[in-house]
Order: sequence, then structure tokens, then C-alpha cells
Amino acid sequence: MNSLTQSRVRKSRRFTVALLASPTVIYLAIFFFAPFAIVLMYAFGMIDILRQFQFAVTLDFYLDFFNSVAPYVFGRSLLMALATTAVCLILGYPMSYYIAVKSGRRKETLMLLVIIPFWVSFLLRTYALMTILDVNGIINVTLLGLGLISEPLSLMYNMQAVLLGMVYNYLPFMILPLYASMEKLDKSLLEAAGSLGAGPARSFLHVTLPLTRSGIGAGSILVFVPAVGEFIIPQLLGGTESFMIGNLIWTLFLKARNLWFGSAVSIILIALVVLLVAVYMKYITRGEEMAI
Amino acid sequence: MKKAWDKILQGYSLALYFFLYTPILIMVVFSFNDSKLLAVWRGFSLRWYEMLIADPTVWRAFYNSIWVASLTTIVSMVLGTMTAFVMIRHSFRGKSILDSSLYFPVVIPEITEALSLLLFYVFTGIPLGALTVAIGHIAFSISYATIVIRARLVGFDRSVEEAAKSLGANELRTFFHVTLPLILPGVIAGGLLAFTVSYDDFIKTAFTAGPGFQTLPLRIYAMASRGGVSPLLNALATITLVVSLGLAVVRLRLSKT
Repeated sequence: MNSLTQSRVRKSRRFTVALLASPTVIYLAIFFFAPFAIVLMYAFGMIDILRQFQFAVTLDFYLDFFNSVAPYVFGRSLLMALATTAVCLILGYPMSYYIAVKSGRRKETLMLLVIIPFWVSFLLRTYALMTILDVNGIINVTLLGLGLISEPLSLMYNMQAVLLGMVYNYLPFMILPLYASMEKLDKSLLEAAGSLGAGPARSFLHVTLPLTRSGIGAGSILVFVPAVGEFIIPQLLGGTESFMIGNLIWTLFLKARNLWFGSAVSIILIALVVLLVAVYMKYITRGEEMAI
Repeated sequence: MKKAWDKILQGYSLALYFFLYTPILIMVVFSFNDSKLLAVWRGFSLRWYEMLIADPTVWRAFYNSIWVASLTTIVSMVLGTMTAFVMIRHSFRGKSILDSSLYFPVVIPEITEALSLLLFYVFTGIPLGALTVAIGHIAFSISYATIVIRARLVGFDRSVEEAAKSLGANELRTFFHVTLPLILPGVIAGGLLAFTVSYDDFIKTAFTAGPGFQTLPLRIYAMASRGGVSPLLNALATITLVVSLGLAVVRLRLSKT
């Protein structure tokens, strides 16, 4: 092939790449990245109340952040998201292990059974928990009917209800990647550890746990990230004591219409999530490929 | 000893399945309850289903949801296939940037994406409504669709394409008559994921819909947060479950071929 046709091929290839990639690139640039640029401009006070752009940069909205309830709300959301992740991991790990390693040929059916509840929408699942925990809900009516309590218990509008709702909704996000990493687990390694004299606890700590690290990492991120910005669950199941970042951002944007402070809060949220995920991936999964 | 541990694990897993299914089964059972009260059984009835079907706001919201989800699915299937192709078949400058930009919309908390779009619409003066909702849904559905379609393209046998070309078919003809039929299950899987993500979305829709436009999740939220619990939602949940089970059967059939 002479150099002229070679360059022609190269040119037509470049044309194909541009043709195929540009719609997505342009779409994401306009409707994903440009909006974030506007958030940044609002958060630094570069857009005024008349939607006019100005070149002045202010950190006022970040100072407001520390003078408001926002740091407490952030602290609470982080704790709730961490608690949700921990509970999902502790609950989900043995179950994933059972399905992937012990259940034999039934494992695909058993995994399908984990996923089916998630075909009902998130909102309806949370509503299902409301019908159980409500003052007139199943638990109270049953206990009252049995004469075990004389007044209905207040099971809703507190932190425990929010935690229950989050674990209920996010558990499969933990189980799916854990299952994927355990399915790949080479069982002969466990047998080898056993025949070399390691007890079940020892072979779990030194063989199973390290080999499923990628699943733990992926599952934790899949639970933690949506949990920290959760809005619906604290809104429907929680009270004032369980107000989270999602509720704060919702209130600032859709109720108080304070776009500037709301933007600053969300920039801090994004920075925090990106930082935590990066640190987590570096130290827990040690840069291994995630098993999503 | 080992057997005992296995039994404990099995019992434990059974208990967790119980935890996952109880709330949903309660909804299904109480959707047939002839009582306004939440937890008191007063006999079998289809009244909630009748009320649901007679409710024009629910139908309107359902129609809106289907409209937005269909538009989202079509656009993200087309763009997702094109992007997945470029990523698999070509190496070019900026590929790794495109790759990580595709993961951004999946990883970032949804509420921040939702408010960024709202600000964008406010700033540019685009009036909120059906179209602004669909634009927002497409922005993250492209990522989901591309990721799924790309996963299916990895093991693609290119010799059939070579064969078509050596028999005289040009690029476009080869694509539509050879490649597309072969990768269609992957494209449909990507489209189904885009549809589900869009149909179920609440946060992004709530920020970008404006006052006049309501999708089904927004309608459900309005019904659930009015304080009193509405048995209509039990009926709605039961219908969704049945429809999703039907769709899942279709999906399983497709993934097997």
C-alpha cells in the first residue's frame, strides 16, 4: 500500500470516529458538563439574581455553609450512609456466600429471587415499609390486637426507620457484586488451606476475605454513593432528626429557592463523594478492577 | 460440624429472603382488601383496582412516563450503540476521557445532577416540561446503555463482517444486515435498562418537570406523602410487579439467545 492510500484510510477512519462519537460527546457536553459549570458559577457567586454573569468570585456561600446547620446535616448523612453500607455488608456477605458457593445449581434462581423485589419501583417499596411501620400499620394493629401493647408504638419518623428503609432498598446493590466476586472464587484454594491445617476462621480471614475484596469494594460504593445523597427515604420515613443532605438540597432549591447556597452545598457533596470513593478504592480494593 | 454451618447459612439466607419479600407480599395481599384501613382485613374486593383505573390523574401520569421513557430509550439505544462501537473498534485521542465521562453520570449523586440541570434550564430560559425531563433522562441513560452494549460487543466475532465485505457489501450494508442482527440482544438489553432507569426516576424528574407535568413516580410520591396512606398504591404496586415479571421473562429469553 502506498502512503497516499494509507493516509486516505487514516482520514476515513478519523471521520468514522468523529461521526460515531460526536453525538454523545456533544450531548454530554451540553446536558451534563455545562450544567455543572453553571453550578460552579452559582456556588462562587458568579451569577447574580437577574441571571447575569459577573466576573467577581466570592467564597461567601462556603462561609455560609460552616455557619449553618449544613455541617451537622453532612455529618448525619455520612454516618447514615456508612451505617447503611456496614449493615448491608454484614447482612449480605453470608447470603452471597451461601448463594455463590453452597447452593449448587440453584444459584441462578436464588439470585433472581434477590432481584425480583427490585422490579417494584423504589417509591412503592418505601411505601410498603410505611404500611408496616405506620401508627395504623401492620405491626401496631397486630400488637394492639394481641393485647401486647395498649398504645401504638411510634415506629416511623426516626433514624431507625430511615436506616431500615435504606438497608431494605440497597441490600441487592451489595449482594450482586459480592456474588459476582464469590462466584469466581477458586474453591480448591479453600481446600488447600484446610488440608494445610487452617481452621474455617483462619481460611476465611486469609483466603476468602482477601479474594472477595473487589466485590466488597464495588458493593460498598454502589450502596454508599446513592445512600449519602438519598432524598425519598428520609423524606417519607424520617422526621426532623433524620434530615439528610438530599433533603437539604431539595429544600434549598425547590422550597427556599436559594440557588447559590444550594449550589455550594452540592459542590461540597460531590467533592466529598469523589474523595471518599477515591480513598476507598486506593486502600480497600487497592486499585483492583471493580466487579460491577 | 461443617454440615451444621451449612444449615445455619441456609436458615440465615431464608430469613433474609423473608425480609426482602414480606413488605411486597403485604402490599399484594392488601391490594385486594375491602377496607380503607391499612392493616385490617375486611374481605376480598377489587375496589382499589377499579378506583385506580377510574383515576384520570394516574392515567395521565402513566402516559407521560411511557412517553418520556420511550423517547429516552430510543435516543440512548442509538447513541449508546454508536459510542460502544467507537470504544470497542477504534483507538483515538481522548478515548480515556470519553470513557471516564461515561461513568460520571452513573457515579455522581443523582440529586446534584438533577439540580445542575434545573440551573441550566433556569439560566438558559428553557421552559420546564416533558422535553426537559426527557433531556435529563437521556443524559444518564446514554451511559447505562453504552456500558451494557459495550459489554456485549467484547466477544464479537468479526470474521462474519469480513465475509460480508469480501462478498461486496459496503460498510452500512454490512452493519445493518450482519452486525446489527447479531448484537441486537445487547442493544435491546441496553435499551431496557435505559427504559427502566427513566420509568422509575424520581429525583431528576421532580427537579426538571415544572408544575404542569407529572410522571408516575411523581404521582406516587404525591399520593404517599399526603400523610394518610392510600390503598390505591397497593394495587398499583401489584400491577407493576406483574408487568415487570412479564418483562423479565422476555428479558431472560433474549439473554439466552
